[in-house]
Amino acid sequence: MTVKPPDQLLLEQDLAAAEFRCGELEGRWRHVLTAWPNVVISVAAAPRQNGPTEYAFRFDCTGYREAAVTGQPWNAETNLALAHKDWPTGRSIVPSIFRPGWKDGQCLYLPCDRMSIQGHDNWRNVHPERLWNPARGIICYLEQIYDLINSNDYTGPIGA
Amino acid sequence: MPKLTLFVQIQGQPNIVEVAVDERANESEIHKALLEAGLTIGSDQFVFIDESDEPLSAQGKRPAAEVKQGTRVHVARCRRIKITVNYLERTISQEFAPGVRVRSVKKWAMKEFELDKKDAAEHVLQLCHSTERPTSDTPLHSLVRDNDCAVCFDLVPEIRVEG
Repeated sequence: MTVKPPDQLLLEQDLAAAEFRCGELEGRWRHVLTAWPNVVISVAAAPRQNGPTEYAFRFDCTGYREAAVTGQPWNAETNLALAHKDWPTGRSIVPSIFRPGWKDGQCLYLPCDRMSIQGHDNWRNVHPERLWNPARGIICYLEQIYDLINSNDYTGPIGA
Repeated sequence: MPKLTLFVQIQGQPNIVEVAVDERANESEIHKALLEAGLTIGSDQFVFIDESDEPLSAQGKRPAAEVKQGTRVHVARCRRIKITVNYLERTISQEFAPGVRVRSVKKWAMKEFELDKKDAAEHVLQLCHSTERPTSDTPLHSLVRDNDCAVCFDLVPEIRVEG
């Protein structure tokens, strides 16, 4: 019998928890697949002309949940990174976070992202509300994405 | 009878509790289901369906028509919560039901302050005297810190992530 590592068990526990399921049943997000240490989750987006109903993200959850996850826009159909032209964008706040040019599109420019927080110690003071919260786990990342792509700032995909 | 899953949020408790109820449960049956799930509903607490203005009646036989799969239920000490929003030199106040979400308060505030969609995109509600910016789905009762059934927000500019 294969023994699952604690970080995988914690992620599975969080994906089965009421807070995640509440988001699923409210149509805010849905679990697509887990291929440890990655999990793909789609997040619903506000309707925009030529915009998708949801965007998928692949999260690397190594070290969960003490370590933050890192999330990348993902094409759930091809199981490959989402083409940069299909990334969400907006007028001001959304494009400051969804930056295909940052680390070649491997992560979002968010303080709660494990890759992006590196070298950005000032974010701990400037964006305390956007930091990773180990007590809440992946929910705190998903809630931020959901609010961004359902805000008035969001205009649709870059190439729309 | 098919069952529905409700997500119960209790004022003062951070977790969410799942409770199953019959698809056509009336008010008193929902109350009973909450108690059977091990929740305590004191005589000073109210049960609200999602953002409803009025609490459920523990003896009510009225069908809870607004209940569907995944609906949130709130068990709150506060029947109403006084919301204050500060923006520049102006302050507005209004009472809301405890299950009303931050998204609805922001919408109300933007209208009261006569701000347009662009302004809405660039502003966010932040709890007064803190850096906490609750997400749009947060119910108001979860933000009440004292016994005064009140929450104060500042409407502040959203900051681009830079650096």
